[in-house]
Amino acid sequence: MIIMNKEPFFQRDGVRTLMASLISILIGMLSGVIVIVIVGLTNDSISTGGIWDGIRMVFLGVFNKGRDAATGALTFGFNPAFMGNMLFRAMPLILTGLSVAVAYKTGLFNIGAPGQYLAGTCATLFLALSIPTSSIPAWMVWLIAFLGGMLAGALWGCIPGLLKSLLNINEVIACIMTNWLAACLVTWFFDMSSLKNVLEGTKTGYIYKTSTVIHDVIVDGVRTVAGANVPEGATVLATRGGVATSRMGLDTVFRGSQVNGGIVIAILLAVLFYIIMEKTTLGYQLKACGSNRYAAKYAGIQDRRNIVLSMAMAGAMAGTAGSLYALSGNTEFFWTTYQSLPAVGFTGIAVALLAVNNPIGVIFSGIFMSYLNINGQQLTNLTAYNEYITDVIIAVIVYLSAFSLIIKTWLGRKAKKRKAAGVSADRKGEVRG
Amino acid sequence: MAFLVRQTLVYAIPLMIVALAGVFAERSGIINLALEGMMIFGAFIGVVCMNVMVSLGWFDAVKASGNMWTMQLYLLLAMAVSALAGCIFSLLLAFAAINLKADQTIGGTALNMLAPAIVLFLVRIVAKQNNLLLASGDSATWFMIKKSMWGFDKSYKFGFLGDAFLNKVYLTTYFCILLFIVMSVILYKTRFGLRLRSCGENPQASASLGINVFRMRYAGVMISGSLAGLGGCVFAVTTANASANGDVAGFGFLALAVMIFGNWKPLPIAGGALLFGLFKCIAASYNTLDINGDGTYMLASIGLDSNFYRMLPYLITLIVLACTSKSSRAPKAEGIPYDPGKR
Amino acid sequence: MENQQTKNPEYVIEMIHITKEFPGIIANDDITLQLKKGEIHALLGENGAGKSTLMSVLFGLYQPEKGEIRKNGQVVKISSPNDATALNIGMVHQHFKLIDVFTVLDNIILGAEDTRAGFLSRKAAREKVKALSDRYGLKVDLDAKVEDITVGMQQRVEILKMLYRDNDILIFDEPTAVLTPQEIDELMQIMKNLAAEGKSILFISHKLNEIMEVSDRITVLRKGKYIGTVNTADTDKQALSNMMVGRPVQLVVEKEEAHPGEVVLDVEHFTVPSRLHHRNAVNDISFQVREGEIVCIAGIDGNGQTDFIYGLTGLEKVSGGRALICGQDVTHLSVKKRGKNLSHIPEDRHKHGLVLDFTLEQNMVLERFIEPEFQHGCFIRFNAIRAYTEKLIEQFDVRSGQGPVTRVRAMSGGNQQKAIVARELDRDKKLIIAVQPTRGLDVGAIENIHRMLVEQRDAGKAVLLVSLELEEVMSLSDRILVMYEGEIVGELNPKETNVQELGLYMTGAKRQNRQEGSDHHE
Repeated sequence: MIIMNKEPFFQRDGVRTLMASLISILIGMLSGVIVIVIVGLTNDSISTGGIWDGIRMVFLGVFNKGRDAATGALTFGFNPAFMGNMLFRAMPLILTGLSVAVAYKTGLFNIGAPGQYLAGTCATLFLALSIPTSSIPAWMVWLIAFLGGMLAGALWGCIPGLLKSLLNINEVIACIMTNWLAACLVTWFFDMSSLKNVLEGTKTGYIYKTSTVIHDVIVDGVRTVAGANVPEGATVLATRGGVATSRMGLDTVFRGSQVNGGIVIAILLAVLFYIIMEKTTLGYQLKACGSNRYAAKYAGIQDRRNIVLSMAMAGAMAGTAGSLYALSGNTEFFWTTYQSLPAVGFTGIAVALLAVNNPIGVIFSGIFMSYLNINGQQLTNLTAYNEYITDVIIAVIVYLSAFSLIIKTWLGRKAKKRKAAGVSADRKGEVRG
Repeated sequence: MAFLVRQTLVYAIPLMIVALAGVFAERSGIINLALEGMMIFGAFIGVVCMNVMVSLGWFDAVKASGNMWTMQLYLLLAMAVSALAGCIFSLLLAFAAINLKADQTIGGTALNMLAPAIVLFLVRIVAKQNNLLLASGDSATWFMIKKSMWGFDKSYKFGFLGDAFLNKVYLTTYFCILLFIVMSVILYKTRFGLRLRSCGENPQASASLGINVFRMRYAGVMISGSLAGLGGCVFAVTTANASANGDVAGFGFLALAVMIFGNWKPLPIAGGALLFGLFKCIAASYNTLDINGDGTYMLASIGLDSNFYRMLPYLITLIVLACTSKSSRAPKAEGIPYDPGKR
Repeated sequence: MENQQTKNPEYVIEMIHITKEFPGIIANDDITLQLKKGEIHALLGENGAGKSTLMSVLFGLYQPEKGEIRKNGQVVKISSPNDATALNIGMVHQHFKLIDVFTVLDNIILGAEDTRAGFLSRKAAREKVKALSDRYGLKVDLDAKVEDITVGMQQRVEILKMLYRDNDILIFDEPTAVLTPQEIDELMQIMKNLAAEGKSILFISHKLNEIMEVSDRITVLRKGKYIGTVNTADTDKQALSNMMVGRPVQLVVEKEEAHPGEVVLDVEHFTVPSRLHHRNAVNDISFQVREGEIVCIAGIDGNGQTDFIYGLTGLEKVSGGRALICGQDVTHLSVKKRGKNLSHIPEDRHKHGLVLDFTLEQNMVLERFIEPEFQHGCFIRFNAIRAYTEKLIEQFDVRSGQGPVTRVRAMSGGNQQKAIVARELDRDKKLIIAVQPTRGLDVGAIENIHRMLVEQRDAGKAVLLVSLELEEVMSLSDRILVMYEGEIVGELNPKETNVQELGLYMTGAKRQNRQEGSDHHE
């Protein structure tokens, strides 16, 4: 028996997986550059300098400090606001990425993250804005809203899980349908709710931020709502809202950004899921179901229960993403969602695939996607290009991850070939294998 | 009522043709989750093509001549270009799934992300907004076949059949029905169709009989891409007012559901598409729908929320899938990469 | 000498010095095979001897590294099944190459379709197939879907496929494995008819009876090497068997007399519905298995054995009757709860027995990871699992590349099976269910597993064996229950019966009435 624990560094499984992901990123970014160059060259309104600006922005948007007032040239350096926003936006991406990754380990393709995200957003907004902070402390309202969002996501994730385990309906189709159902239901729910933002008259179609302080008041015998400033002579019935995730001091590090404690929670959840999947019997069961449902059943593992459980956990994570995003207190929710689904749910697929469904990897790929996101935003703001180029890059990365296994095998073979060539030349039979 | 029929067809036709697109890919053994992406790409190219025609002055020439039938020719041209675009786009899926033996679900998802990204990126650069429109006004009506084009004046009473099938209709509807029939016949009555279907069931058997499975699957995916691209163009012209914004309102996914619902067979798919078209139509215009012609809007008077009608197509899909899941039968080899070494 | 032979036009097909390598294994090592016109030439060898590889080379599925193929003395290159078809070579594969949802007719014409104006001309094809089926006595229902017809008819469809293409060299790859004895007789007759009409037949098998009955000459392969070619008339079974395995076969399992004790498994009126048709797959069967005995369920594949075991082990729902294990009614218990007194070596090791992408050690605790020995407060005790796996590897001689951390997918079939047997026997349960525990294994591994099962019996376990191999049934079991169409049609003592009688029961030609207390007349 040969025990080969000490493999050369580049042949280790983990290293090759990481290399395959990095190669995917590189090819994805290069595709973006190629598109930028081609569009720039064929479009008269974009100069050579404009192309160069675009390329730099794709890679370094997070580090840009705007255009120099005098020369109009882009300047670069550490930008705390963009860095902070990158972390802020990474938070929901890490969570939806976890959602997809957890389901994938159980052999399920959770394309339903957008719907679960909406379910979480909806429940959280409702709870955070309905429970009077005048009678319950704000931190407790926050907790209830947070857990409520998680639960709503979990329940929404259960639906395709149940359909799959009981009726063997393809979870991809079920997820797609539940996505649109969620989008319609959420619209319907807020259509009827009293949470539409009427205080800031300039905006229509938005729900209050959770941080908005709302007073239910009676003015001249008429019940109405008021903002932080209660009109004189009004009787305050209850105070709602004013709930937001703690910033945990991150705002002093990343001045001018939206970052808050949500990113910490997301990272902790990722670590938690790593432990669950790798170290516990629950993770063992889920992975057994994912790898071979029949063998799991044979071994007395309840495959149906695990499918539902896995989808519930996946839904909980996507729900948490929506929940924490809403609870940041400075994001606004446009509630007429029935025409389009939140992109963050779909990007979660890319996050998970890039991380090869490893929960720890998801932290990094989530931050990477968010980095692309900020770069795209800056691309729109400061160049002739727009943020959709980063979606192109993400799509290319997902495309490559569909055959990452081949890239990985290719890497392994190359390493072996190099080794074989170095050691002896006469064992050519092995290389072919 | 005539409106209902007409409008149902408008929604049903793209669903039908795109579901058939799915059939060609899946019957050859490749899961095509990317129908949505292919439609988006086809729709975009179709609209670009029409924009080019406008800029070449073709439309103005037609207006000047007054012979609106020429427009139908241009429409067919745009559809052909869209089909070609869809076909080229589908090569990405074919390459990944067939040559690289990639995970087809992920590959399809990637294309579904890629298509709107590329389209929006380009649209934003060209149009400076998120929507690429035809140059002027209510452009889509240019392609509509109206009473006047048959030589009748506006006051002429067409009757129910005429109103439903001849007035304010699109050539695309009839072209697609014809195409649907032709493609179905190809699938079932020709050597090519027989061989294609065999590759989706048991590619090892096909290979043992000298059939080139790779080539058949490429053909399946490319036909799928062409039909989906064409379907996207039809969608853009008939329901999106000849505009492209990187979105086809989930029609690609609905078509996928229609395909499963129709058990991968053309006739049930046509039925399923009509059913879904009906619900889509109701969702879009329930409050102005005068079913029996007595001047009251029956569905609106029931008082259900519009959101309910919007949900209906998706809800029905789930319910129907739940009811038919037992008898549903996917091509046996779909989703499994073909490996000639394995027997 | 060889050159003279190869120039001889007496041979329609010659494969000269064929060598075919796969990574890590030489499947065919310098093999020469010559087929005469109008003869039935048997290719004999154990599993893994290289028979199928050699035929795949002839059929164009593989390219040999060395050697050449000649047809009527001319060197030909066969690089795809198309080339083989062009040379009129046809093959009935071991696993039929049929499209289940197509009709019989469509299956026959697929790949050789005639068209008129682009459309399939099924009418002309139908005429041609009808003529062929009449001429050779190949009865088929042309409009039935393949999934609805019997295995025997499916095989006739495969033969018609070759005849439809005017093939005159016909390869049969283990054609009798899935057939009933009656169907085997029919097939033998068909093959003789075909040879009489001038077709040349290559017949791959490892069943000596069939080979002796039907073939004219026999070529024997062993472990990828050419052993020799003999005339059937000049040899006998013992000699062939020696050529095939390289030593006398030990058909007898050494074991003492059984001493049955308490009843462990008690099955009463057990009924399992079929997933395929409306009849019951298992219909009202009752029997007992006692400690210290090996009871074997014999029968031809597809007579309800699999469904019975699924029902008994909890993988499928039961519609009637009950089963008691150690006095406990388990009929409606979960798989896990049944595991208290039962271990199960499953029929399909890849589907049920193993998680191929898990490591060996993960697979070793597939049923036991929840036990306190291997987990503590839901956290897996990796060290305990490693130590346990190493113990089993040692004890059962399971071989793998990297020991406990080997991916099971990378292990050989024999070692995969050993791993399952190790896992199941070490669980030390009162009832052991072993379904085809030696399928696809080499002789050494088979002996090993047989020995272990006898040891378990002698240790007082009750063993329920399901087997399709008559030799195994006869040599290993203490009692035989024969299953036919979902019912137990006979209970036999292996000492008092013989293979012929067993065959009659297995094919439904004979049955006992086992209903207690009632008269039994046929």
